[in-house]
Amino acid sequence: MIRPLRKRHLQIWSGIAVLLPVGIICAWLVVPKPVKDHLWQPPSTPVLPVIMKSLDRGNYIVNLRTNNDSSALQLEWINQSALTSPSAIIYKLSASDGIQHIENADLIGRIDSRGTYHFALKKDSANDHQHFVLYDIIHHQVIDQLNF
Amino acid sequence: MSASYKAVGWNRQKKIYDGLIFAFCVVYLLIFCGLTLVFNPEVTFETLLIRSSSTLAVLLLHIILSIGPLCRINKKFLPLLYNRRHLGVTMFCVALVHGGFGIIQFHTLGNTSPFLSLFTSNTRYGSLADFPFQALGFFALLIFFLMAITSHDFWLHNLSPRVWKTLHMFVYLAYVLIIMHVMLGVIQYETNPVFVLILFIGAITLILLHLYAGSMEVKKDNIYFGLQKKGFVKVCTINDIEENRAKMFCVDKERIAVFKTEGKLFAINNVCKHQNGPLGEGKIVDGCITCPWHGYQYLPKNGQSPPPFKERVSTYDLEIEGADIWLNPVPYPEGTERPGVIF
Repeated sequence: MIRPLRKRHLQIWSGIAVLLPVGIICAWLVVPKPVKDHLWQPPSTPVLPVIMKSLDRGNYIVNLRTNNDSSALQLEWINQSALTSPSAIIYKLSASDGIQHIENADLIGRIDSRGTYHFALKKDSANDHQHFVLYDIIHHQVIDQLNF
Repeated sequence: MSASYKAVGWNRQKKIYDGLIFAFCVVYLLIFCGLTLVFNPEVTFETLLIRSSSTLAVLLLHIILSIGPLCRINKKFLPLLYNRRHLGVTMFCVALVHGGFGIIQFHTLGNTSPFLSLFTSNTRYGSLADFPFQALGFFALLIFFLMAITSHDFWLHNLSPRVWKTLHMFVYLAYVLIIMHVMLGVIQYETNPVFVLILFIGAITLILLHLYAGSMEVKKDNIYFGLQKKGFVKVCTINDIEENRAKMFCVDKERIAVFKTEGKLFAINNVCKHQNGPLGEGKIVDGCITCPWHGYQYLPKNGQSPPPFKERVSTYDLEIEGADIWLNPVPYPEGTERPGVIF
C-alpha cells in the first residue's frame, strides 16, 4: 500500500470511529419503549353464576350477577356491537348524588368494542338500588342510564 | 498471477480457501436455522431465509474487513488475504439473497414497481426512529454489486489501479450503511439488547483493529534515518535481514524493501503493481521476490516480473560499509537492472 493510501485509510477509520458509535447509540435511543397496558377494565374475574337482574337495550344487555351465597356482586355487560361512542365509561352513582355530580360517582370500567365485559362491584352494595350511567367522557354527555 | 484472461485462476490454495468459505456458510446457516426453529417454531420459510442470510452477510463483512488490519498486525493471517475477493463475492451473493427476498416479501404485492415501492412506501426520511432503513441496505448492496463484478484482475487493469482502489474503498461507506440499516431496521423491532451489543462489539473491534494497524504503519513511516552521506542513508546492518527475506524502510515518503539472497543485497520499491501489496513482507521463492498478498513475482536484480509478465517496480542503489547497509532513496526507472551488492 502506498503512503497516501495508508493515510486515507487511517483518516476514513478515524471518521468511522467517531460517526458509527454515535449512529448506533442514536438509533438505540430511538428504539420504541414497550407500550404499557393501562386497562380501565379490571383483570377478568370468573363469571358469577346467578343473574340477579337484567336489562336489554338492544345493542347491549346488562346483567347484575352474584354467586350462590350472595357474597359477591358483578356487573356483566354484553355488547352486541361496537358502541358508536369511542369513550364510553360506566359510573355507579351513589344514592345521594345525582347525574349532575358525576365527578363523585364510582368509576366501574370502560366499554368500547363488541364483547362481554365483567366488572366486580362492591359487595356492600348488593342489596342497594343500583344506578349506573354510561357516560361519554370526551363529549361530556350521558349515553344511557341503567337502574336496577 | 496470470498472463491471459481467466475467469478464476484456480490453484490448490484457492480451492481450499473456497471450500472453507462454503463449509463455514453451510455450518452457520444450519446452526442459525436449527436454533431459530427450536426457539421460534412458527417462523415462516421467507423470514428464516431473510434473517439467516442477513446475519451471515453481516458476519462475513466483519471478517472481510478485519483481514487487512490483522495481516498488518500479524503475518500469520496472510493466508486469509490471499483469496479475500472470493470471500467478498460470497458475501455479496448472500446479501443479494437477503435483499432479493426482502424486496419480494415486502414490495412485490402492490401495484407499483418493487424498486419504486422500496423508496416510496416509507418516506419519513426526516425521522430517525421511522427512517426508511431499507434504502440504506439497497445502496450498500449496490456498492457490493459494483465491487463484486469488478473483483477481477481484468477490471483492475482496465479501470487502472487508482480508479479500482477508489471504487473498492467505498466498502467502508457500505459498512456504515449496513450497520445503520440493521440499527434502524430490525433493532427497532427486536428490542433485545443482545443484538445491539453484538453489533456494537463487532463495530468497535473492527474500528480498533484498523486504528491500531494504521497507527503502527504511521510509526514505520516516521522512522528518521539520521546518518547520511552523499545521498545514502544508513538503514540497518546485514545481520538484521534474514536470508531470502527483506526489511522495509520508509525514506523520502516511500517504502523501499532491501532483500538478502545468495550473498547479495537488492533494493526495490516495496509496492506491488498488482494491488499495492507490501513486497518487503514477502520472501524470495524460486529466485523471485513474491508478493505475500497474491503471489505476484519480481526479479530482485531489476524489479521486473519474469516473462511473459510485464509488471515492473523501481530499483535502488545500495552500499556496504563493514556490516552497515547504506541505501540511496533516489529510484531508478521501473525495471532498471542493478547488480546488487555483495557482502
